Amino acid sequence: MGRTGWLLIGGGAFLFLLFAPLFLRGYWLRLLTNMFMFGILAESVNIIAGYCGYLALGNMLFFGLGAYIVAVLMAKFAFSFTLALILAGLGASLFSAIVGLPILRLKGQYFLMGTMGLLELLREITTNIPLTGGGQGITLPIFPGGAAAANHFFYYFMFALMVISIACTFYISKSKLGYAFRAIKFDEDTASVMGINPIPYKTLAWAISAFFTGMAGAAYAYWMSYIDPGEAYQITPSIKMYLMMVLGGGGTVIGPIVGAFFIEFISELVWGTFLELHFLILGLILVLVVIFMPKGFMDLLRKGISFSKLMAGVKENRV
Amino acid sequence: MAILEGHRVTKSFGGLTAVFAVDFEIEEGEIFGLIGPNGSGKTTLLNLINGIFPVTEGELYFLGQRIDGLKPHQITRMGIGRAFQIVRAFEGMTVKENVLVGSLFGTKKRKDIGTGMKEVEEVLDFVGLRAKKDHKISEMTIADKKRLELARALVMNPKLLLLDEVMAGLNPREIDDLMEMIIEINQRGITLLMIEHVMKAVMGISKRIMVFHHGRRIALGSPKEISENEEVIKSYLGERFARRHGAQKDGGKT
Repeated sequence: MGRTGWLLIGGGAFLFLLFAPLFLRGYWLRLLTNMFMFGILAESVNIIAGYCGYLALGNMLFFGLGAYIVAVLMAKFAFSFTLALILAGLGASLFSAIVGLPILRLKGQYFLMGTMGLLELLREITTNIPLTGGGQGITLPIFPGGAAAANHFFYYFMFALMVISIACTFYISKSKLGYAFRAIKFDEDTASVMGINPIPYKTLAWAISAFFTGMAGAAYAYWMSYIDPGEAYQITPSIKMYLMMVLGGGGTVIGPIVGAFFIEFISELVWGTFLELHFLILGLILVLVVIFMPKGFMDLLRKGISFSKLMAGVKENRV
Repeated sequence: MAILEGHRVTKSFGGLTAVFAVDFEIEEGEIFGLIGPNGSGKTTLLNLINGIFPVTEGELYFLGQRIDGLKPHQITRMGIGRAFQIVRAFEGMTVKENVLVGSLFGTKKRKDIGTGMKEVEEVLDFVGLRAKKDHKISEMTIADKKRLELARALVMNPKLLLLDEVMAGLNPREIDDLMEMIIEINQRGITLLMIEHVMKAVMGISKRIMVFHHGRRIALGSPKEISENEEVIKSYLGERFARRHGAQKDGGKT
């Protein structure tokens, strides 16, 4: 498929989603909103993990942080949503930069463990201080104007944020920044001998990732109008967003979005029918993806889907 | 004038001393060879010059400025380029993108991608990879990968270029081609520090050669002096080499 083909599909999907609230209601709108949210989360993981090579498996920590910043500012200090939202994005970024200085020195699975540790740490802190409402959680002001208005608002909010995150990733992929990220992903020593100072670049990659994740968390808290530590800092979505990125293709612009839509949709179908088997099926998908298309769905699409290509993927895996 | 000076350069990894109290001076414009048995500390010395490892003791000066203690990217931007022994091209990027990274980040100048790409084309022309600029790394031969390493280092406009066994794994014809290219690079005014096991190459084009053994400098001199040095023959070159090159002062035992 050529460039025009992709543009047509992309443009068609954009227009469909833009006007979907005119003919879709309730359940379907909420499902799509959820898909957009996971699109944002997967794209955010993509920036730090797919492009920069840092296995940020605990990225949910910025989601929780964003959610709690908005919740506390709106519920306890009567901030407007807009202001609280911006502060949530910036707060998550700032936090990533502060913790990034020590933990971005870790590589591979050590970094992965570091991010998971931070996730646990934030959950424990949030559970144990009064400001956040502790383990009981915190209730936010209800979105004014009723359920239908809220559905539309959060639909368009998540949609816009997802489009912005795609645009941001597209810009990165075409810019000097993208070259620096990809060089660092391959090998940090080589990158630095080529004149790249890795520290500011990887800090920036994580800060961008945290910014979008924090904003998504902030909107989620307001959407649900209630948040508790167990949900805000949950490990499952953290793994899920990573899986979505791998499935769609890390280091591609649109792959993580495709992965997010696919998994969220399957998830919803499976969840509805087999509650107990949910994780088993998700796990099975992960195993199949890693075996047959280690570079993700986008790579396969680009090369054309065929049996021989799938087997080539299997071969590539055997290092 | 010395472009690079080392004073009692020492590197220990725990109890193992990989490089011990090495003194050297590389003159501007020369081709300086570095030879020695495997594990004698040659690559470690390059890693010290690059800043990949911090020196344990001693000092390094580049154009009179002290460089030990600086970070690799700072040292690169001052004008020290490096071609690695094991090719470290960025997989997943094309040939030209690989070189572009050096062009964008390897000098003190700020550049956009367009200007960088122009420099990339020039360098690819020089190393003879223009026709393969859109190839993936996995599609390339060893000889081409070595040229790519060279291109990545050259695009950073180095004053001093560190070459780590760029001839390894090449056939005789490819070695001749690469030797010619290295001489041409040198004629453009770039000083070269070259680690090499291919004796024909290192003896043929180096002005001076330093020999390492167990992390110590055991000799430093012209190729002729080195090929006649008894300690070098004993520890590295071997008697066959010495005989073949007619320096048999010590080699007549058999």
